Amino acid sequence: MLFAHGFGCDQNMWRFIAPEFENDYRIVLFDYVGSGHSDLGSYDASRYSSLEGYAQDVLDVIHALDLKEVIFVGHSVSSMIGVLAANQEAERFSDLILIGPSPRYINDGSYVGGFERKDIEGLFEMMDRNFIGWANFLAPAIMKNADRPELGEELTESFCSTDPVIARRFAEATFLADNRDDLLQVKVPSLILQCSDDMVAPEQVGHYLKEKLPESTLRIMKATGHCPHMSHPGETVELIRDYLG
Amino acid sequence: MHADLLEHAPCGFVSFSDDGKIGYVNATLSARLGYEASELCGRHLETIFAIGSRIFYQTHFFPLVKLHGRAQEVFLLLRTKDGESVGMLCNAVRHERETGPATDCVFMEVQERRKFEDALLEARQTADRAVKKLEEQAVQLDLQHQELLAQSEELQTLNEDLEAQREAADEANQAKSNFLAVMSHELRTPLNAIGGYVQLLEMGVHGPVSEAQVETLNRIGRNQKHLLRLINDVLNLARIEAGRIDYDIRPVMMTEVVGSVLPMVEPQLERKELSLSSRIPDGLAVRADVEKLQQILLNLLTNAIKFTPANGSIEIDAGIRSKSEVFVKVIDTGIGIPQDMLEKVFEPFTQVEGKHQRSAEGSGLGLAISRDLARGMGGDLVATRGIEKGSIFELTLPHA
Repeated sequence: MLFAHGFGCDQNMWRFIAPEFENDYRIVLFDYVGSGHSDLGSYDASRYSSLEGYAQDVLDVIHALDLKEVIFVGHSVSSMIGVLAANQEAERFSDLILIGPSPRYINDGSYVGGFERKDIEGLFEMMDRNFIGWANFLAPAIMKNADRPELGEELTESFCSTDPVIARRFAEATFLADNRDDLLQVKVPSLILQCSDDMVAPEQVGHYLKEKLPESTLRIMKATGHCPHMSHPGETVELIRDYLG
Repeated sequence: MHADLLEHAPCGFVSFSDDGKIGYVNATLSARLGYEASELCGRHLETIFAIGSRIFYQTHFFPLVKLHGRAQEVFLLLRTKDGESVGMLCNAVRHERETGPATDCVFMEVQERRKFEDALLEARQTADRAVKKLEEQAVQLDLQHQELLAQSEELQTLNEDLEAQREAADEANQAKSNFLAVMSHELRTPLNAIGGYVQLLEMGVHGPVSEAQVETLNRIGRNQKHLLRLINDVLNLARIEAGRIDYDIRPVMMTEVVGSVLPMVEPQLERKELSLSSRIPDGLAVRADVEKLQQILLNLLTNAIKFTPANGSIEIDAGIRSKSEVFVKVIDTGIGIPQDMLEKVFEPFTQVEGKHQRSAEGSGLGLAISRDLARGMGGDLVATRGIEKGSIFELTLPHA
């Protein structure tokens, strides 16, 4: 099982879930470049300007460990990152488990994503204001952190990100993305875990995904919020087990 | 007393469960947000958050308190019941209680600090925009650079093609000149033999010749000489074009050169009853190969005589054009050259067509050779029309 963390966090977020599967599966955890304790020297602004770059991170991990029949577990934005990776190399994947997925956060005509663009800009403002305290915030030179790792450490402790500029770009790649067309290409069976009261990914989005993703199972959780694997790990583990059989 | 302190302390206080449900909110915060405390209890924390803060809560704040047990100095935009935004700083700690885990937060409104932050953010956004613009310009410049490179490559290819064509043309010209030189030589040899044998016959070496035979032999001789002159001209031109002419450049007195040429044309002048005058300043000298200069002058004078009707006049006018240049004009009162032929007369095998054409005489190479020789000595030769009639050929040469 390959666990991919969501935006704003790192692999730590899986600590209530991953151990539950240790006996039955090989567990692989990783941090995207710019998150957790990743190597900032590997950051490439153009590669990570869209989710495809992050999908390449997933494939890089799979190739490095030569993983086959991967059960990909992705939270939030990682659900779509998993979809993109599986569309590139379907033969490597056996299942996609998508927790709180959304192919597009911004409303578009009859499509309900849950947000207007100005709402997303409100998030960016929140990020800007909370990262203001970090010395390198004003300079877009990501590599500065490499010279002063203590800054990254401090930020990791505070926000699970090692660099505010990377986090900010990740936010843009995530919340401005539109991966609706990619859903139709998916050839791997999937489980959609939809929280009952998730303001980041509303229930309509879960139904939309069920309709568009071939071979998909939708489970509406009792859990509320956007992070059931942290707030309701028990239910989350149960539903995953149930699906994997 | 402690309960009262918590209720009315100069900061907001909220306690909420992992589900985000508000368990307790103090009077200070609920009043600031325009609610009764009872209205907020049991509602989701997101009720008091602006939308950006709601997402930030889900993606950053909640994972932080859940995983690290605390959050410090997190900025959140709260929303009052009336929809007004209030910026607050939040510290939070997560506790295990009998009722389950709960997160306790204090909120402190930031106004002055926000102004400072606003200025910082605006400065950064301005900088970002400038950087973005610069990046766009860099991309544009790069594109232009690529285009220029492509054009430059194209031009270079074109240039190489032209160079190759030029070389091919040069080679062809060289081959032509070589061919002419060889052919002229091959033709001259038998012609000289013809001339020799005609002379022997005329001298009666092979027995007496009648008057009619003498006349025929004369005719053969004249034509042999004409043909020989023609071939010599061709050979000269070919040599010039093949670059095989050596110039022996030295100071030459103009009066001396003209003086050496005049006797050669005097018989013709007399025959056509033409007058010739020359105006050459004393001591006027040019840098030239004396033989080549003689050849040019002879050619110009012969032409002038040829194309000037009987009783006409020919004039040689020389002088200093500039510090470095001397001119020599040969002016006649002949038939003149049409305007559009002034340049063409210097092309090989060209003669002015018309009723005065005397194509039987001359090869049409004289002027071409003369100009090449003039240029070979660092000068030039051009033709203009006379003021009333006739032609002016102007030779320029470096001043000695």
